[in-house]
Amino acid sequence: MKPKFMKHILLFLLLSLPLLTFSQDDLLDELEAEADDSEVKNYTSATFKGLKVVNFESTKLVAKEELTFVVSHRFGTLKDGINTFFGLDNAVTRLNFVYGITDGLNVSISRSSGIKVYDATIKYNIVKQSKNGFPFTIVGFNAIVFNSGLSELDYPLLEFKDRLGYTTQLLIARKMSTNLSIELAPTIFHENFVANDLQHNVQYALGIAGRYKLNKRWSFNADYGFHFNRADNSVFRNPLSIGFDLETGGHVFQLHLTNAQAMYTNGFLGQAAGDWSDGDVYFGFNLSRRF
Amino acid sequence: MKKFIYLIALLSFSVYSQGKYLTKTGTVSFEASVPSFEEVKAKNDAVTAILNTDNGDFAALILVKGFRFKNALMEEHFNENYAESDEYPKATFKGNLNGFNVSSIDGNSTFKVSGSLTFHGKSKEISDINCNVVKTDKGLELTGNFSVTPSDFDIEIPKIVSKKIAEDIEVSFKFDVIKK
Repeated sequence: MKPKFMKHILLFLLLSLPLLTFSQDDLLDELEAEADDSEVKNYTSATFKGLKVVNFESTKLVAKEELTFVVSHRFGTLKDGINTFFGLDNAVTRLNFVYGITDGLNVSISRSSGIKVYDATIKYNIVKQSKNGFPFTIVGFNAIVFNSGLSELDYPLLEFKDRLGYTTQLLIARKMSTNLSIELAPTIFHENFVANDLQHNVQYALGIAGRYKLNKRWSFNADYGFHFNRADNSVFRNPLSIGFDLETGGHVFQLHLTNAQAMYTNGFLGQAAGDWSDGDVYFGFNLSRRF
Repeated sequence: MKKFIYLIALLSFSVYSQGKYLTKTGTVSFEASVPSFEEVKAKNDAVTAILNTDNGDFAALILVKGFRFKNALMEEHFNENYAESDEYPKATFKGNLNGFNVSSIDGNSTFKVSGSLTFHGKSKEISDINCNVVKTDKGLELTGNFSVTPSDFDIEIPKIVSKKIAEDIEVSFKFDVIKK
């Protein structure tokens, strides 16, 4: 009888074990296990903070039902020195309204002074970078450009369609680390009218852009565009821009130097007239306000 | 004898699960608004929390990226520059409802909570928080609020925005815990 009694005791102890371990297990560990079950997609945030890196569009979109107003300035060339007060006299301004239809779809309209160009764009998220998920954020960008500045006095045969241009661009970005984000922007753009007869109407370019966070307020930004079929006799150059972003909570100020005065994609890729090697660059800023 | 063993088995298992009440949809919100400036307020409604009704032990786990602000830009700034949620994705609380006794809850009871709150990788001991406990159809409802300061958690508020963010941040919570 004795061994059987022992067996019962053993069983009793075994079954009572949960009672004993009860107070020992950690409630927090239990929650960790519960939370992991329901883990949400951990999308990478703040790859870029501005809608543009400098000139190139970034992968950032305006949030749903938010309207952002962006005022961009490019002053005249610094090369002119005090004569134009370092370009202040020849500033070009672009006013740009961007609206978020959804978090992943933006539309915008803008108007640039000087060359008198209107453009309308759509920007849409295709895929987002996430932790343990897809390694890149990919955004599509399309624009239609209307050049109201072309004069029929200069070009008597000018038709309406000659004023139009188109942009198709893919923005592929990756936040490499907390501080560094890199973007590639393969671009095809088309101008129905190009002033230079040797210049193809369809033009191909690749943008490369980056953001490096210096501290919580400041980041260093740069972008460059390789143009692949620029006419041999073209006076225009590839656009290179460097600048700093300053965050002030409500908005992001972007201050920069660039050799392109135009602020819309076809303009800065196709018609950047400045030359870094000659000090022929423009000071500028992008300033945004959210509504 | 066999029945007796079954009884103990049943008892010990049922006791094991009896004391734990859980929620995965608890809400925690905080507000650091300053009058006449833009509202700085966020809410997270996917907080997991657990209460052991046998001894009043309580724990909560928050995924910091789950805080929703009035606007997306504010949310991005919060995650990138204040909470640094890539580095510190979770906030936790671990503590105890002092003198908790489930059978003493009668309509609306208040208990003092003390414990350790961890956010932004820093822990702070807090005590004397009032927590209201109400019996509901399915379990218990825990509500309360308390205040903390950003410096408690080594969060630096830059001068440029310091006027727009309150020094004391009001935190409120609500957990409808149900038997696990």
